[in-house]
Amino acid sequence: MDYKYIEQLLDRYWECHTTAEEEQILRSFFSQHDLPQHLAQYAPLFDFVREEQQMHVSDDFDSRFGQLLAVEDEQQAMRRTHARRLTLSRRVAPLLKAAAVVAVIFTIGTATERAIVGSHSDDNATQPVLTDTYVRSSEVEAVIQPEHTTDATATIQNTDTLAHAVLPVEPAVENE
Amino acid sequence: MKELSFRNDVLPLKDRLYRLAMRITLVREDAEDMVQETLIRVWKTLQDGTQIDNIDAFALTVCRNLCLDLTARREQQNVTFDEELHDRPDATHSPYEDIVRSEQTALLNALLNTLPEKQRTAMQLRDIEGHTYREIAEVMQISESDVKVNIFRARRAIREHLQQRKN
Repeated sequence: MDYKYIEQLLDRYWECHTTAEEEQILRSFFSQHDLPQHLAQYAPLFDFVREEQQMHVSDDFDSRFGQLLAVEDEQQAMRRTHARRLTLSRRVAPLLKAAAVVAVIFTIGTATERAIVGSHSDDNATQPVLTDTYVRSSEVEAVIQPEHTTDATATIQNTDTLAHAVLPVEPAVENE
Repeated sequence: MKELSFRNDVLPLKDRLYRLAMRITLVREDAEDMVQETLIRVWKTLQDGTQIDNIDAFALTVCRNLCLDLTARREQQNVTFDEELHDRPDATHSPYEDIVRSEQTALLNALLNTLPEKQRTAMQLRDIEGHTYREIAEVMQISESDVKVNIFRARRAIREHLQQRKN
């Protein structure tokens, strides 16, 4: 029998040039019992391939895997429950945050308002001081001109302070 | 679009994934754990609505990556597979194994398991699972020419081993 074709296929197999179909031909050929001696040495390789193709997971694989999947499902269900609990707290959290922000803004607003109002009242508070100063300076003028004292004091207290702050100067100039 | 089911589209991959996982991890329990993990991940990915053109190739890629991660972790723990192999030539087969191997195929299995992972995986996917070079390249995330180089080297090692035995 001529084994040239098989020999050629085998050579191409070692060189990785065979197609899947040609490799199948080799496997079929080497599954025979009566092989020529020069080819029989390679038979264990194809026996090995055939044996490997029958390898499978252990018989109880499916039942063990089923149990694993059941545990996975249970854990997933638990995770979902935890997720729901978290969602509830997460739902309240934005409201609390918003309330906190409003409270901060209100506090800052109130504080700013008070600060502004306070500064206005401070302005008002300085004015009487100024008035007092002018009043006092006019009193000094009055002391300098005793004949006008009663009239000047009365007039200063009843009229605009700034106008009267200037007025007492005039008699002083007249006196010179 | 066709409705995918775990039982019909994902679970049937278990044996093919197991053979690959076994070739990489070399330990039956680890291989089965990796298959379970792969099946769950593939199913979750499909449930998320991710479009997968080739579920087989995707599952094999996930499985290989998980096995490589596990192997790397094992190596970090100083567990060397070479020692195991040298002590027991057929260490990859547990009492569950229902295949009765001849001495010669058992030696070939042990020899293949001593080769670098890329050579083992490439030859496994080509000679045992019958994938195309393109599919193997996709699973291993390397070029087709690299796939061929790895298969060439693995086959050469086996050829030399068989020729030496004859002599």
